Amino acid sequence: MSSLIRLASAAALAAALCAPLSLPASAQTATSYGQIIQGLTAVTTDSPVIDAQALRNWAQNSVAQNAAIPPTQPEIVKKLFSLAQITVQIQFALNSAIIRPESYEAIGSIADAMHHPILWNYRFAVVGNTDATGTRAYNLKLSQERAQAIVDALVTLYRVDPARLEAVGLGQEALQNAKNPDDPINRRVQIFNIGTLKPMPSAQ
Amino acid sequence: MTRLMLLAGMILAGLTMGASAQTLSYAEAGALIAKSCGPSIEKYCSKENIGTGKIMDCLKSHQADVPPQCFADFSAVFASINKRVAAQGDAYKACNADIRAYCSGVAPGDGNILSCLVDSKAVVKGTCKQVLLDAGWY
Repeated sequence: MSSLIRLASAAALAAALCAPLSLPASAQTATSYGQIIQGLTAVTTDSPVIDAQALRNWAQNSVAQNAAIPPTQPEIVKKLFSLAQITVQIQFALNSAIIRPESYEAIGSIADAMHHPILWNYRFAVVGNTDATGTRAYNLKLSQERAQAIVDALVTLYRVDPARLEAVGLGQEALQNAKNPDDPINRRVQIFNIGTLKPMPSAQ
Repeated sequence: MTRLMLLAGMILAGLTMGASAQTLSYAEAGALIAKSCGPSIEKYCSKENIGTGKIMDCLKSHQADVPPQCFADFSAVFASINKRVAAQGDAYKACNADIRAYCSGVAPGDGNILSCLVDSKAVVKGTCKQVLLDAGWY
């Protein structure tokens, strides 16, 4: 897995940065500030460029055509999943985009990472995914609304620059476990580092 | 008083974790709102999302039923976040002299200058140090 190698390349930097925090070695879901920074810093110069609108269009077309979920991930999803990323657990009210108060802290941790200078010049896609319970169109709409609710919280409460954030709902179109579409693992929010906001400053 | 103690407690908790910030982290801010206002939000404002900025208005419209602690902590969180955001925006300017003195060869970007200032903790003082503390970066 190339993303693991790329993660490792940033690990030394992140470890130095987050020395006071202990990092569980095999956490699936990023919860601490340190884990979030570590996950989102693993950027290389050959990271593919992702267009958030193209992703939204792809998901919409996939639902509109009611296309069969392909056995292998389409190119645009493969590209997205190759980026530096974290998966977070955010609790929403049932069938709603209302974020439950118990998750305000988790979104705050994401904001802490985004406000750190190491990530200051980067943009992020907040991507919502559902499992395959319910219709594809409903899942697409709900996941887009949930992704937008997280972006709104990051911007309004935690003051992250809106120019750095894109909300993308993929519904059930990019299942993590395609063999078992109803697996709860498919219900997730992912945050991807989608590149720089401005060119990196050059040395003076 | 309880509010101040809670705030002080959270900052102290941050200190023991090694983050000696003078403001709440965004995670601590979210945790405090959830603790003090969460039950009221779920009871009276379950149709409002935290990112709409309308939660406070909704809570105020149920003022008689919402614990005063919630309003006190919500205000404290706003003040702390404002202070932290301001410090983060001011840091580069406030630390300009220190950056020139101690980090002149460091390529900016990817947090390099902050790393240098952190490495220079023994000598960075005054406004720069305070701004970095308030920013939650020191």
